[in-house]
Amino acid sequence: MKTFQFRKKIFFLFACVGFISINYSQQAGLKGSIVDVFTNEYLADVTVTIKGTLIFTNTNDQGEFDFNKNVLPLGEQIAVILKKGYITKQFPITINQGIILDLKTIDLEYDFKQEQLSIGTISLSDNELDEGDATSSYNLSGLLNASRDVFLSAAAFDFSSTFFRPRGIGNEYGKVLINGLEMNKFSNGRPQWSNWGGLNDVQRNQEFSMGIAPNEYTFGALSGTTHINMRASQYRKGGRISYASSNRSYTGRIMGSYSSGVMNNGWAYTIALSRRYGNEGIIEGTLYDANSIFVAIEKKINESHSINISSFYTPNRRGISTAITDEVSALKGSTYNPNWGYFNGKKKNSRIRKIEEPIVMLNHYWNMGEKTNLQTNIGLQTGNISTTRLDNGGTDLITFNDQVSYVGGGGSNDTNPAHPSNLPSYYLRDVNPTALDFQKAYLAEQRFIKDGQLDWNQLIQVNQLNTQQGKNATYIWYQDRNDSNQLHLSSIVNTEITDRIQINGSINYKIMVSENYAEVLDLMGGTGFLDVDGYALNNANLSINELINNAQSDLQNPNRIVGVGDRYEYNYEMTASTLGGFLQAQVKTKKINFFIGGTISQTSYQRNGLFENGYFPGNESFGKGSSLNFADYGAKTGVTFKIDGRNQLDFQTTYFTKAPTIRNAYSNVRQNNNTVSDIVIGDQESEKIQSVDVGYRISSPKLKVRLTGYYTAIEDATDIGFFYTNALSGSFVQETLTNIGKEHIGGELGISYQITPTIKLKAAAALGQFTYTNDPDLTLTSTSESFTVFDERDNAVKPSPRPLGKALLKNYHVAGGPERAAQLGVEYRDPDFWWVGITSNYFSNAYIDISPLKRTENFSIDPENGIPFNDYDPIIARELLKQEQFDEYMLVNLIGGKSWRVKKYYVGFFATVNNVFDTLYKTGGFEQARNVDYRSALEESNRTVPVYGSRYFYGNRTSYYLNIYVRF
Amino acid sequence: MNIMNVKKRVTVLLVTILITSCVQNDDFDIPVLAIEESVIPESGIIGIGAVLGSLAQEQLKDDAEAIITFDTPDQFVQGYVISSDRAGNFFKELIIQNAKENPTAGIRIAIDVNPMFTSYEFGRKVYIKLAGLSLGISNGVPTLGVLDGKVIGQIPSFSQNEYIIRSSEITTITPLELGIEDFSNNKLSMFIKINDVQFNKDAVLGTTTHTFAAEPTDQYDGERILESCTLGYSCILSTSTFSDFKGVLLPEKQGSIEGILTKNFFGDAFNIVINDPTALVFDNPERFDFSCGTADIAGTTVLFSDDFETQTNRKPITGNGWTIFTQEGTETWEAYTSDGTNPSQGISARVSSYGSEDERTIAWLVTPSINLDQQEGETLHFETSNSFADLSNLDIVFSKNWDGNPTTIANARWITLSEGYIIQNSDDFDEWYSSGIIDLSCETGVVYIAFRYTGSDTEDFDGTYELDNISIDYN
Repeated sequence: MKTFQFRKKIFFLFACVGFISINYSQQAGLKGSIVDVFTNEYLADVTVTIKGTLIFTNTNDQGEFDFNKNVLPLGEQIAVILKKGYITKQFPITINQGIILDLKTIDLEYDFKQEQLSIGTISLSDNELDEGDATSSYNLSGLLNASRDVFLSAAAFDFSSTFFRPRGIGNEYGKVLINGLEMNKFSNGRPQWSNWGGLNDVQRNQEFSMGIAPNEYTFGALSGTTHINMRASQYRKGGRISYASSNRSYTGRIMGSYSSGVMNNGWAYTIALSRRYGNEGIIEGTLYDANSIFVAIEKKINESHSINISSFYTPNRRGISTAITDEVSALKGSTYNPNWGYFNGKKKNSRIRKIEEPIVMLNHYWNMGEKTNLQTNIGLQTGNISTTRLDNGGTDLITFNDQVSYVGGGGSNDTNPAHPSNLPSYYLRDVNPTALDFQKAYLAEQRFIKDGQLDWNQLIQVNQLNTQQGKNATYIWYQDRNDSNQLHLSSIVNTEITDRIQINGSINYKIMVSENYAEVLDLMGGTGFLDVDGYALNNANLSINELINNAQSDLQNPNRIVGVGDRYEYNYEMTASTLGGFLQAQVKTKKINFFIGGTISQTSYQRNGLFENGYFPGNESFGKGSSLNFADYGAKTGVTFKIDGRNQLDFQTTYFTKAPTIRNAYSNVRQNNNTVSDIVIGDQESEKIQSVDVGYRISSPKLKVRLTGYYTAIEDATDIGFFYTNALSGSFVQETLTNIGKEHIGGELGISYQITPTIKLKAAAALGQFTYTNDPDLTLTSTSESFTVFDERDNAVKPSPRPLGKALLKNYHVAGGPERAAQLGVEYRDPDFWWVGITSNYFSNAYIDISPLKRTENFSIDPENGIPFNDYDPIIARELLKQEQFDEYMLVNLIGGKSWRVKKYYVGFFATVNNVFDTLYKTGGFEQARNVDYRSALEESNRTVPVYGSRYFYGNRTSYYLNIYVRF
Repeated sequence: MNIMNVKKRVTVLLVTILITSCVQNDDFDIPVLAIEESVIPESGIIGIGAVLGSLAQEQLKDDAEAIITFDTPDQFVQGYVISSDRAGNFFKELIIQNAKENPTAGIRIAIDVNPMFTSYEFGRKVYIKLAGLSLGISNGVPTLGVLDGKVIGQIPSFSQNEYIIRSSEITTITPLELGIEDFSNNKLSMFIKINDVQFNKDAVLGTTTHTFAAEPTDQYDGERILESCTLGYSCILSTSTFSDFKGVLLPEKQGSIEGILTKNFFGDAFNIVINDPTALVFDNPERFDFSCGTADIAGTTVLFSDDFETQTNRKPITGNGWTIFTQEGTETWEAYTSDGTNPSQGISARVSSYGSEDERTIAWLVTPSINLDQQEGETLHFETSNSFADLSNLDIVFSKNWDGNPTTIANARWITLSEGYIIQNSDDFDEWYSSGIIDLSCETGVVYIAFRYTGSDTEDFDGTYELDNISIDYN
């Protein structure tokens, strides 16, 4: 047969490479059975391999294994016994010719560290969880599962609370798949972890592949691919109930799950329920309210076909906090959150993020013979994500001599208790403050310390007074909302052409249609809210009628008064789709593993404006915009040299392109159809990414070492930011940064050493440098007066993009966690089923997120007259533009647990205490883009306390997590 | 303990946890609006007038920049809010007056709070705690605030509720009806109404109608001339360039305006400031002004002229068809000569209320009737000069329905001739200013042209005006 010949050739090829040094014998044998040390139950699907060979077998349902069909190497060997969730055992054996070695019964110990997995999702700092977008978290769940790697396990358990991201790469560069369907969002490219949060019990079947390492499902991504298998048949029969208590984000979690296992009739089902709750975590006013349910049913039709349905629904609400300045944290502490205020005696947060996006999946698994399987998946997701806010821009329409105008948009700052005008620094901003200034600063300080929170009753009272006067509401509570429906199809094939060659491929198609709008949630005692932009009136170049037009959120329906449940401000539809495929070949020989893979995809976005925005009349905002299309491709290859049984060298490299996410493809998607390509010079391109890494591994029974060096370059990236700046006469702007080049270079080291069977030492270190490699192009857009110019095409004065040239970012650090991290730890695992561990973790070289706007040529130009400052001193300027580096710090974490067996129940607990010494540390922060010219930056730097100082996120002070569980 | 028991206990535990795990919900349970009436003892209340009186005394003793600081506890000033920053035309100030109608005193409170309308709406009664505050003149207006060096500073926002106490009472404010000629410092910070006013034609009849405060020349405030239609007075309507209605176009018609009498930033001129444009009810289409524009050259033939050289010094103007009429007061137009620092160009015509002891002086000098139908290309020019004019006023009006009888002058309809330069208070008193050549040719019929002086024997209003070399010509 041809296949046979091919296999023979391949075998011959590798045999010729000539590393065969062990004698094989057909006569030798090895068998035994595996039991759970607790339950004495025989364990099925345990993999037994002979170390340094490709030979393996699995236990059957009775827990028995037998290498009888295999050719075994003779002499002293190590049998490795692996099962997910259990501690891997290495077992020295001697295989003699003609003798069948019977290992009888081998104990396998359940890895209680598995219980730790559930910590991961809550040790993330508040910022990461809340926003899921602001500063990205690493692909943590995947890391947790890859805990056999010392470095990644350190990154997951001990580094994650500091914004540390392996290689400085955010999770928009990582992929998460569930049952073969990619879960990353179109909007920001990130997986929305809360869509399956709280279901830890049923997410233990995870495969994590680092970076672009081969995996069966997808091409791979810079920060790795996590595949979560949530098929009903893949869960062990049994149940688990647990209760967790913590002071980090939720205060309590209760979780229960039960799996039937595959029953005799071929059916299997799994159900999981959980609730996480808390009125506040470490950060004040951050409520947590999350319920999760998961149901999966699978029917094994025959040996070849299985059909599975998995569905999960995890509605959750979180109270949001915000980054604060040094001044604020000095007065109120690092856990201060200005978003809440007392209402009816309880803390009420004005900013709540709510996510409710249930998913149902239908999966078909088809074993096409022993060597090939095909899975076909259909996923449907529907639901919404919303974030609430207060709107303080209420106005009233007045009519005067057939003209209309708006009054009441008094620009009231007072909803934010941490607004500069409520802080001492604001009153001491002048070079020589007067006695009255000092008095005001003192009063501000006392008020802020004593109160410093949102005054709900005051806001409501204002609206009630308005109602009495027949006026509209000044303040309303609203939500920014995204309703989306997504259909997802994928087919994944995995075939072993020979014992040594495996081919993986997939095609997938995903389409999403979303509606995005602001919606009034509560009128707070008012009767209605006039849906106009009061700031539109501030443009001296336009007549009152033009201003009134500009102010409309929807010209089709001007001067609308909206009430609860009405959409206002903006309203648009977005359609996004992607069609892609990947193909990969893996060749495994005794000495060399090799893979090569490629991918192509096509991504399209189209915005459809449902409101005709006053600033952008006609098709610029209303109806369908142009269709954006990105064609992407990529290739990767890698090789592993197995020097001997204990040492191996890995090398892998890739080049691929990545389409911008919706967020980075539209400059101001709420207001208009303009794409980034429309506002910048030239077309927006896909990001181009190249990466190479080289790793060396030692794995002996006692010592495990991994040392990896990497280099990643990202080019043509786009980043869009929104903020208010004092520059350009004071404007709310969208900052579009294009052609960004970044470089991530560094190394990772992980070492573990088993001193005694019970004591293990571990060490991990990361050393990196993440910098910008070029000066990207900066373009600002805004609807404020200083951006309006006469447009000859439309014969009207209109907002126009303003290119500001290059932002001089080259050699600045890319913000995102410490570039250097190191860990030393020790673990003691008592044979009596208890264990403790302590780690000491050091972090340094974390940098603030710089303001690109401050680093354009405009910095040296006087905004008053447009000519360079005559007092510009390059030495001082250098100092003003220096990137802040955060202080280094050390965190000590403790962990421990114990388990018992009570009849047929396992009962256990584990607890962690993080940051034992209560170290106060900054995890990240950003410069405010208020004062972006030399003179005002200098003025600001001369103040004892800056008025618009950088804002920071703080890491958790000492925190605990306790989990108690029963398994049956 | 058997398995069932364990299960039961676990269930009970779980249910208990679930019940106790409620988290803040998204609903608002809106409380009832209740502003509690503050108990301010009657004995502690001081009138705004009394407070202003003590400042005036201090000013007499000391100087105009005097400041008094209050330290007696439990003293309160009470008043009604008449300013509203809802439309952004007031900034960090609150103006109150002492009565809902016919107020006798008003005062400005400077406070570092924006916006104020959200707490103190128009008509709300408030009490101002005095202890700790200071009173002085700021921007020309008596202002309560805190002492900031030697000036009145804004009350810190953090002390807002300590110093301004809301009463539950909201009242309807009846504006005080006032003529521009009645403006005085003791009417400052009151809610007033002026009837029969119009905007100067340059603002509303030109090629582009002016806005309240959005002209390229407007800095901080847009100042617009409001003219009285009954007398020649005018005053300034001042609107902040930060107001929400700054871009609204001024009305062409005439009517009434309600606003607060205050002063400009420099404190040297009276201003009216409105809360929002609905304060203007300009519904009378009959404007009281007229213009054919100006001409490049005067007519070649004289129709009527006078250089007053034939008049007798210090005697009322007479002859040559002139009518003089003293509508109010005792003063009239008379001949005058001087060759000192204030030269009279020989003999000229002069009017002044200085030393007249008049409460008001309105003095007319009217030309003989001019028939505009008998020739073409009529023009008018004259020269004016003044001394200490201040707020006294000279305007040029004409009538088509006056019967020529002095006693009926006040009953005839007089329209402002809005072309022609009349000397301003800021001009040199020792110079004569030409009116320029005023075109009359578009008008028809028989008209009288009058020079109308308005003043009184008070310091700001007792100015002197001089007129010379008047000539009406045609081609």
